[in-house]
Amino acid sequence: MGRKDVIALMNDIITTACKFVTSSIGRKILVALTGACLLLFLVGHLAGNMTIYGGDVAAGGTSWIDYYATGLHSMPGWLLWSIRLGLLAVGLVHIVLALVLKYENYNARTHYQKEGTLKATLSSRTMVVTGIMILCFMVFHIWTFAVCGDPHNCYQVIVTAFQQPWCSIVYLVALCCLFMHVRHGVQSVLQTLGLSTRKVRPLYNIVGILFGLAVCGCLASIPVCVMLGILK
Amino acid sequence: MANLNLTLKVWRQENAQAQGRIETYKAKNIPDEASFLEMLDIVNEELVHEGKEPIHFDHDCREGICGMCSLTINGVPHGGKKVTTCQLHMRQFKDGDTIWIEPFRAAAFPLLRDLVVDRTALDKIIAAGGFVDVRTGAAPNANNMPVRKKTADAAFDAAACIGCGACVASCKNSAAMLFTSAKAAHLNLLPQGQPEKNKRVLAMVRQMDALGFGNCTNLYECEAACPKGISVDNIAKLNRDYMIACAAEAVGVYS
Amino acid sequence: MKEIKFPVSDYMPDSCIPEGPIAEKWTKYKREAKLINPNNRRKYTVLIVGTGLAGGSAAATLAELGYNVKCFCYQDSPRRAHSIAAQGGVNAAHNYQNDGDSVYRLFYDTVKGGDFRAREANVYRLAEVSCNIINQCVAQGVPFGREYGGLLDNRSFGGSQLKRTFYSRGQTGQQLLLGCYQAMEKEIGKGHIEMFPRTEMMDLVVVDGHAKGIVVRDMVTGEIKSYAGDTVLLATGGYGRVFFLSTNAMGCNVGAACACWKKGAYFANPCFTQIHPTCIPVKGDYQSKLTLMSESLRNDGRIWVPKSREVAAKIRRGEMKPSEVAENDRDYYLERKYPSFGNLAPRDISSRAAKEACDDERGVANTGRGVFLDFKDAIDRMGKEWIDGQYGNLFEMYEEITDVDPHEQPMMIYPASHYTMGGLWVDYNLMSSIPGLHVLGEANFSDHGANRLGASALMQGLSDGYFVIPATLPTYLTTQKPGTITTAAPEFIEAEEAVKARIQKIMDVKGTKTPDEIHRELGKLVWEDVGMGRTKESLMDAIEKIPAIREDFWANVKVVGSTEGMNQELEKAWRVAAFLDFAEVLCYDALNREESCGAHFRLEHQLADGEAKRDDANFAYVACWEYKGTGELPVLHKEPLTFDTVHLAIRSYK
Repeated sequence: MGRKDVIALMNDIITTACKFVTSSIGRKILVALTGACLLLFLVGHLAGNMTIYGGDVAAGGTSWIDYYATGLHSMPGWLLWSIRLGLLAVGLVHIVLALVLKYENYNARTHYQKEGTLKATLSSRTMVVTGIMILCFMVFHIWTFAVCGDPHNCYQVIVTAFQQPWCSIVYLVALCCLFMHVRHGVQSVLQTLGLSTRKVRPLYNIVGILFGLAVCGCLASIPVCVMLGILK
Repeated sequence: MANLNLTLKVWRQENAQAQGRIETYKAKNIPDEASFLEMLDIVNEELVHEGKEPIHFDHDCREGICGMCSLTINGVPHGGKKVTTCQLHMRQFKDGDTIWIEPFRAAAFPLLRDLVVDRTALDKIIAAGGFVDVRTGAAPNANNMPVRKKTADAAFDAAACIGCGACVASCKNSAAMLFTSAKAAHLNLLPQGQPEKNKRVLAMVRQMDALGFGNCTNLYECEAACPKGISVDNIAKLNRDYMIACAAEAVGVYS
Repeated sequence: MKEIKFPVSDYMPDSCIPEGPIAEKWTKYKREAKLINPNNRRKYTVLIVGTGLAGGSAAATLAELGYNVKCFCYQDSPRRAHSIAAQGGVNAAHNYQNDGDSVYRLFYDTVKGGDFRAREANVYRLAEVSCNIINQCVAQGVPFGREYGGLLDNRSFGGSQLKRTFYSRGQTGQQLLLGCYQAMEKEIGKGHIEMFPRTEMMDLVVVDGHAKGIVVRDMVTGEIKSYAGDTVLLATGGYGRVFFLSTNAMGCNVGAACACWKKGAYFANPCFTQIHPTCIPVKGDYQSKLTLMSESLRNDGRIWVPKSREVAAKIRRGEMKPSEVAENDRDYYLERKYPSFGNLAPRDISSRAAKEACDDERGVANTGRGVFLDFKDAIDRMGKEWIDGQYGNLFEMYEEITDVDPHEQPMMIYPASHYTMGGLWVDYNLMSSIPGLHVLGEANFSDHGANRLGASALMQGLSDGYFVIPATLPTYLTTQKPGTITTAAPEFIEAEEAVKARIQKIMDVKGTKTPDEIHRELGKLVWEDVGMGRTKESLMDAIEKIPAIREDFWANVKVVGSTEGMNQELEKAWRVAAFLDFAEVLCYDALNREESCGAHFRLEHQLADGEAKRDDANFAYVACWEYKGTGELPVLHKEPLTFDTVHLAIRSYK
């Protein structure tokens, strides 16, 4: 294989890739794949957060969540930043492509005077809305915990924050949005990736709901427990 | 048998350029055995007698197979009873009901008059690749190529699409994915369609995109509105086939 | 009673049937036919009107061959032509069932089914190419029903004792049409066909005695335009909507065929109109069309009416459910009268038997015009699932329309106008009496004689389009220098002006009756007088009343709106006007044909047991009617029918 052949092949691949990312299905697939990555991140993040139930230093034990947080921060800088930038890139692709699709969809449609819906769920119709709410929340979330928070005193930062009712309410609202987004997202990812059939689709739907409930429920348990005084 | 009195809220628009509006009509003494289009015939006959222009709507076979009739009834194409508008019967409505009747709306379906829209965009998707390129006379004996019954049945299920465009009209994104995917699946499933499978998938999807249809976001509204029970399995299949076709195109495999 | 004496002409154009034994005629024809060099084909423009199975398949095939094709249809897409509504299947002599089928047998059944009023040579050719049709469709990806071994399945159909019908569940027509529509779209995509949807043919343009163009109305803008070509192919279907209520689509009309008739094409055997036995009965006056339930249902359904009028009356009043009628009180009249064919007796016989039962006041449905089609025995024997596998969508369709579940209660059916065997006269080349005007599919008269067998219409449409016209078209085209006529010719301008004037005349009436009201009036009259049983009195009655309705139309029709832009009332009025001009020749033909044959049943001519009494000595001919002016008597030309291969016999299905 000569140099020219390699260039020709690269050329073909780039041409197809361009066609792929400008096609409806291609962009959907990218949104689905990035969505799947974000779901995986969510699971990891959740696992980390659950360490909060390991207890506090003040209560006599070792704070697991502080271990977890300092552990994350003690990763080599390049690795930490690769993960951060990678996540950022995934998130950006997900958001930008989803917004482009939405913009096109808006232009493709002329509206009815009387709208009717047969089957489409509320969560499926509000993906962009819940998505944007989650994005706003993420900014807030990263600001309060990651930027302003002290990884060596993570437990206390969390508990102090959630002891303010407005903060807990913001989190709970955001988690509702996340639930709606994930509930449609899970089965939508599988459908877009072509892994869905009439037989398994109802199952995917249930899995989506259970997954959303589990993730959002666990995450929501933290502010709830703080407000109930279980976590102090 | 009973007779119904209804209030109709109908979209009226003289032509493509004119400003459209909803107008209200009374439909009096409609036999509940009449079909929806026969109800409109009755209303139109009265309008003509009053010297007014009748409501224009598309229709032809009136037996649910040609796909010409359209109408979005109370916000749902074909009224959402798993049949075409021509097979929708007035017994589905109650005396005193108000019924909203609008055209199949989508930017890719320009309105021509009142409830009549131009759906030639769907034909263009077929022209791009929705066929098996076989010249008349070149066909081998029909039984030379056995097809597994299940495959043939699945291909038939996809081929049952009547091309009415309800999937586009019902889609919150005005996507034509159910139509395109069903048409592609019909041929992609059969052995006869294999030689052109990748080419077909790429051509049809690219044409669909170029025509200004929206993008599927898996709302499944299309499947619910489809009068012929076309499954969104076809969409999953098209997504799959498209990925494979793109990969094949990139590395130059055409099989 | 007034006597009508039809002017008869001795002149008859040559039917161009090749010499030789029947089995070799088509081969011989193809061997000797003229050819056009591929490079020259593109110089010829072929205008095709109608995109059903005949027009669509012709358009696709001719474009593949390299001709420059322009195709017109009134629907919004070529895929919607009414061929799409055919449910049951398509015949072919493949003999995949090993039950003794052959080209000869399909030919024989078709000639016999047509009650010996079809042209032998054409029918044989039809049977010959039938297998190619199936091969072609399968290659296109038409999903025919298959057996578990992966090979094609067949079912049986009325008028045949073997299984030769290929099917795609209950929507064979749609699948076949999609096959040829896709082939067409392929050629449209390649730029070989220019497609004009929502365009209605208004007139034929004849230049120096040759059909060289058409005048059309753009149904969106209202513009009148014309197109010139080297030949015109008419594939515009039948005239069944002359009865107003029929199983045809709402847009089906005789306009194009009638325009050609007026320009000199002979109309052949218009009285051969088929009444389909299995339609859903009429409900009320507002009804716009009748829905056909596939004849294939008769494979497993048993047709009956109550033996006694009292029971029938009770059912009509809703006092008794049909399932409550005891076995002994049921009259399975087809099984009783025709033991060997039973419920699968041909269409005309089944229709007439239903009418007789209802005339005997044993009919059901609220109007008394209905008989039962009962699946109870089949469900008991084969199980509900099997039945649903065979007829699922038909059962659903029936339930949607009538709100009755045919698993629980028998279906109610009644005959309705369905197909017209008559049509424009064509020779073996499918060319009409106007040189250059070819007529395909239901629009021509050639293959079905006095009665069409089930699953033969799809076969004929596709045969004409895929295989016959591509072979016969060069015979005409090679006599013509391509592209000599343009729309600048005075004949085009004249024809356009005439169309505009007629439209304006309709608009100017400004009367009080909608086109539909007048059409309904005409339909009622023609159905009563020229429907299933015809008599001299009834025909004379119709002949007397039709001109009055026509006058009423031109004095009282009300078309609102303008000639510009979309105007569906104007479309309807234009078509009704054509039906009114055409209806008389249907009656004249029925009156002239003093015999009963196939679908044409004259009550004066029946055998002692009520069967049709043919008069081969005097009527073994194609009656071709030449237009001489509206309201004037048409001139009768006769093409004698000779039966060299099949012996004329009394058609018996007992």
